[in-house]
Amino acid sequence: MKTSSSVAQLWPQISAALPASEDQFLLLFSDTVESSVLDLLKRSRRHLYSQTSNSSLSLNAQIVLDYSWEKLNTGTWRDVDKEWRRVYSYGCLFKVAALCRGGPSEDELRQAIRTCDMGLLMGAAIMDNILQVIVGILQSQFKKSCEDGDDQGQPEVKRMKTECPLVPVIREELAVPRVKCPSLESFKTNYLLPLKPVVLEGVIDHWPALNQHPWSIDYLRSVAGCRTVPVEVGSRYTDEEWSQTLLTVDEFIDRFISNEAKGLGYLAQHQLFDQIPELKEDIRFPDYCCLGEDDEDHITVNAWFGPGGTVSPLHQDPQQNFLAQVMTPQQHLCQFQTSSRHEHVELANQVEVESPDTQRFPEFSKAPYLECVLQPGDVLFIPVQHWHYIRSLELSFSVSFWWS
Amino acid sequence: MRWFGFGFNAFEQICVHGKVTEDAGSDVKVTCPTELKSHVETSSCCLKKPGEIRASWSRRASLHLDGDSCVCLAGFVTATSVESCGVSGPKTCGCTDAVISEYHLTLTFPGRVEVWDIQKKESTPKWSMEINTQSDHTLKLPLVPGGYITNKPPFYHSLSPCLKAKSLALGAEHALLLCVTGDVYTWGLGSHGQLGHGGLTSEEEPRAVEALCGMPMSSVATGGWHSVCISAGGDLYVWGWNESGQLGLPSQGVRKALQQNQHTQQGNLGQEVKSSEEELQEVEKLKEFFISIQAFPALLDVTPSCEIKAVSCGSRHTAAVTTTGDLYTWGWGEYGQLGHQTLMSSDEPQRVEFFKEQQLRVVEVVCGTWNTFAAAIKEELSCS
Repeated sequence: MKTSSSVAQLWPQISAALPASEDQFLLLFSDTVESSVLDLLKRSRRHLYSQTSNSSLSLNAQIVLDYSWEKLNTGTWRDVDKEWRRVYSYGCLFKVAALCRGGPSEDELRQAIRTCDMGLLMGAAIMDNILQVIVGILQSQFKKSCEDGDDQGQPEVKRMKTECPLVPVIREELAVPRVKCPSLESFKTNYLLPLKPVVLEGVIDHWPALNQHPWSIDYLRSVAGCRTVPVEVGSRYTDEEWSQTLLTVDEFIDRFISNEAKGLGYLAQHQLFDQIPELKEDIRFPDYCCLGEDDEDHITVNAWFGPGGTVSPLHQDPQQNFLAQVMTPQQHLCQFQTSSRHEHVELANQVEVESPDTQRFPEFSKAPYLECVLQPGDVLFIPVQHWHYIRSLELSFSVSFWWS
Repeated sequence: MRWFGFGFNAFEQICVHGKVTEDAGSDVKVTCPTELKSHVETSSCCLKKPGEIRASWSRRASLHLDGDSCVCLAGFVTATSVESCGVSGPKTCGCTDAVISEYHLTLTFPGRVEVWDIQKKESTPKWSMEINTQSDHTLKLPLVPGGYITNKPPFYHSLSPCLKAKSLALGAEHALLLCVTGDVYTWGLGSHGQLGHGGLTSEEEPRAVEALCGMPMSSVATGGWHSVCISAGGDLYVWGWNESGQLGLPSQGVRKALQQNQHTQQGNLGQEVKSSEEELQEVEKLKEFFISIQAFPALLDVTPSCEIKAVSCGSRHTAAVTTTGDLYTWGWGEYGQLGHQTLMSSDEPQRVEFFKEQQLRVVEVVCGTWNTFAAAIKEELSCS
């Protein structure tokens, strides 16, 4: 890749996002962080603001990353002190600086973007979420260099699995009711308060994701292709073969959506929109969320993106859920359970919903349930604590909003 | 007996950084075994060769335990002090054993145990307790009569006397106990298989590792997330996390890194290189072959027809000494802690050739978090 003038602009842009001088670059931590680690962070800071070689900065950054990584892997994730996640983010910051200071190659740019993503995924926000700011700068740079330096051009869009899935026929008496643009009052009275599921139609037609920037595989690649995201590999999380890995969006699409993948990959329950603000601009909070107590900052927004056949096994959510379907149909089965708690848990872990073992679980066939197929533009209201099971029929991208 | 160190040296805990400022890498990552020299020339006790070594991430403690026993610290020192050897800070004179962590230096003396905060320069220990050293003077830290000492408050934890504790190893989130009977018990978090009971669940109380019942063990060691023990017959058993090959079992991460390294080297030599996608598929095909977590003890063949005499672990690497005086290492190697003059990790035990080449017989090994210290004597002086 030729070094274009835009690469020369990269470091000044990043530099402008950093504190102007070493004195203004604060390194404040609780006693959890040992003085030896703090010493290394200070060394890195010194290298950042002086003319020392990138290799010293890079070396120290890597030590900080390796040490904090070990802390992040000690004990349960919930118990990991936030300070170690902050240290990890500083390690990422120093590493990115070392990669970008000297006119980075395309490979170094990719590494820098990946490093920012690792900090965003595993670290904790530092310096007004500086990693988010920097990854934005790097992504613009990356897009520019892709436009300039691409000799082969993008390979033509790979053929995707195009078999038309069998869309199941939903029986009238088992269908989740559908309503077009209900008023806030009528939604509250008829569905929210009595905790009844419903498919809302026409309520997200104004989303840019369905209008100005209709989401497609190509669009997702162009906006987020180089970004690293967590992916679940395997049929469902209750299986033995299930695991999690980190892939770029491009790799995820290549491996699990474009080709004949052997297994399933699912970008599930990930706060993608915090990580990639461009995508956040394409969606809106459903108006009905204002009926809840929380403001928008406390609503959890997750992305669910994968090929046909992905499954979220039977489970409950602890909050109200709006599940918005953006790309292609996704089947949804809604389960009511009226039996005791113990059986709920047993059912969640053992029952294969689509072919339940009615001999072992005789209650199951009698339990009333509802089902629906979500089309792009539909929003399913899943009341809090309602058991539900979701299977995608074909390539699907849904956005869930957990609110109270 | 001479001590050698290799691996992580960012705090000069192995050797002083060279004056060549360009090559920060070789200062921080010592890839070739380097003899430990005393740091402080003025203090008389430091001129003695250290009897024993203890190491944490940023420090090395040299124990001089004959006559006027004391502990000398090398490596990271807080800005307020440069000297070691107990002039200020921990008063180590007369101690019988020591253990070092990032925060604390734990010392036993006749009749008591003390925990000193080594991040601050204080004249009294942070915590101390009387112990009954009459009952068993062979106990080594972290064991003390009646229980054991950890790195964080509360420092003392009691152990049931029924267990008849002989030696104890503490990992980042688990504990491995060897009993006088040769039985092995584990407790703590088990999410990386390090408890050896076949699952990933945690244990609050010591639980016997049943898979080893009937096979008396003579020595135990723990890494960050793995466990190792030597049987009475000199065999090595391993279990826990293998993400860097620290169990000596096939590791996907290590193989991928080795392949990428070959890839780069072939590219440099202008040889034809397989596409990374092809290589990835090759590695993925062998997925069932790799072991990421070993939840039951597995017998590891370090080297054919050799008995293991001693073993020690860093956070993600393992080092073992054979009865024939060879040192084998495996696991994470990115700081040179395997001593093979490279920064590659290895999922297979490999002999540290340096000692063979120098005709040195390794007799002991102690690992710090990311480094390794080995004691060796000249080959001619040993009885063969």
